[in-house]
Amino acid sequence: MTDDLEPPQPRSTPRFEWSSVIGPAIVGLLFIGAWYLLAYNLDNNFTPSGKPVIVPPPHRLFEDTQLRDCPGGLDFMLHGTLPKGSPVPPGCVVTSKIVQATITTVKTAVVGLLLAIFAGMALAVMMSFAKWLERALWPYLIALQAIPIVAITPLVIRTIGANFSARVLTTVIISIFPIVKNTLFGLQSADQNQHDLFTLGRSGRLTRLLKLQLPNALPAVFAGFQISAGLAVIGAVVADFFFSRGTTGLGRVIVDFFLNNQGGPMMICAIITSVLGISIFVSFGMLSRLAVGKWYVVSTHSI
Amino acid sequence: MQDKGLTTQSSDTTALRFDRVSKVFPDGTHAVDDVSFEVAHGEFVTIVGPSGCGKSTLARIAGGLDTPTEGECRVDRSSIGYVFQDATLLPWRTLQRNVELIAELKGLDRAERHRRASAAIATVGLDGHQAKYPRQLSGGMKMRASVARSLVLEPELFLFDEPFGALDEITRERLDDELLALFAERHFAALFITHSIAEAVYMSTRVIVMSARPGRITGDFPVPFSYPRDPDLRFDPAFASLCGEVSHCLRASHS
Repeated sequence: MTDDLEPPQPRSTPRFEWSSVIGPAIVGLLFIGAWYLLAYNLDNNFTPSGKPVIVPPPHRLFEDTQLRDCPGGLDFMLHGTLPKGSPVPPGCVVTSKIVQATITTVKTAVVGLLLAIFAGMALAVMMSFAKWLERALWPYLIALQAIPIVAITPLVIRTIGANFSARVLTTVIISIFPIVKNTLFGLQSADQNQHDLFTLGRSGRLTRLLKLQLPNALPAVFAGFQISAGLAVIGAVVADFFFSRGTTGLGRVIVDFFLNNQGGPMMICAIITSVLGISIFVSFGMLSRLAVGKWYVVSTHSI
Repeated sequence: MQDKGLTTQSSDTTALRFDRVSKVFPDGTHAVDDVSFEVAHGEFVTIVGPSGCGKSTLARIAGGLDTPTEGECRVDRSSIGYVFQDATLLPWRTLQRNVELIAELKGLDRAERHRRASAAIATVGLDGHQAKYPRQLSGGMKMRASVARSLVLEPELFLFDEPFGALDEITRERLDDELLALFAERHFAALFITHSIAEAVYMSTRVIVMSARPGRITGDFPVPFSYPRDPDLRFDPAFASLCGEVSHCLRASHS
């Protein structure tokens, strides 16, 4: 065996380091500390009877919600259907509202994101095929992503009504740009030598797209998915501020809780929103590893 | 309509013919000027010249990756083995599937290309690494893979565009030797591009010297040594003397 046939040593897996646990733990404790400070120093944060209004201290976060001993069980939680005549504790009503709103928001964000992925990738592929299309559409895509979601939602609602499609459409509008941008970047970043190789093989545009440009684009495409995933959740929640009828999502119930001085449920909704964003982000990160991890070294910082 | 530069025609003894070829790039760079020469079957012709003299452009024109602005290049392009300066492997494909690529693009069926690729991989000494991805291979292994890929179509003409230039000298000399062994065995026609005089003389049956841009042919040296060539040939006085002549010609065309 000759020495140039020695494959390079695979880089050793990074050692476990305490700083990667201690750092976040300290920041977490500081955050909870700041939360307590805020809760007890904010003006008028407690009613005369001692009930928190806007920011409940962490240990009193779940005071207004109730999961146990709710009548109607799962059916009530998921659909708000009440068994006849039975009294419902107010905490159960709040929990049911949050659960239903979460389901609506998840549906909106996921359907919106999937549509944005299909439409965005299709658009990017078309733009990579036709330079004139890229030139024609690009300024408007940038304009679209520069419009704040709150400015465009009312227009969408007036146009197609305050229904599920309107929620989904606003989510698509806010989350499509990174997908188009990253996919197009990936498609165009195959290097000249690789293209030469396909020229030697006398490949057409389609073969080039399927066997060179798309695989080459995958890491960038997945990075785009991750950015869009966060945007989709934000889009679904913010757009929801404008919806007052039907099964509302987290955005609307946050407004409701705010108007009712129910600080606890409001913060729970905010936390759920964050957890949703993180879960979609992490799942796409894992999907990305599954798809390209074998050949593309995903940086450890992108999860 | 066929472009005049893409004329395909093979004669009996000529594998590749440049006929008064000039190339001016759209940005005005005059890369190649009035170049004519032939590579016969069984001939290993090396073009040596300073960086940026348009020697790579000649290989690209021969491979159909560029078209000449003037003159024509006659070559049968149905099966050319092309080895780039970089290994140019697709990082998402395993070694096996990288070696199969050109055969796959040309439409060979799965079983046939698998058989040929496996044979080519064995030829370049990479047996056992088929399932590895490019990032798991060393620089030398990647270049071997690249050579294997060019072997799969069993071409009659090879174009080597500074193929081992990015490797360390020891690895480069080893790969040069293995390439020469292949040449001795298969007698293909080869056009080899390099800026190393010693490599040019060591590898070839003929060395063509090109001037700085715009690239013109300023010297054409037949190399008298027989194949197989011994690595010690590099220390032979006759070898050194021929290298001296080529070097002198290069310097003369520089000033």
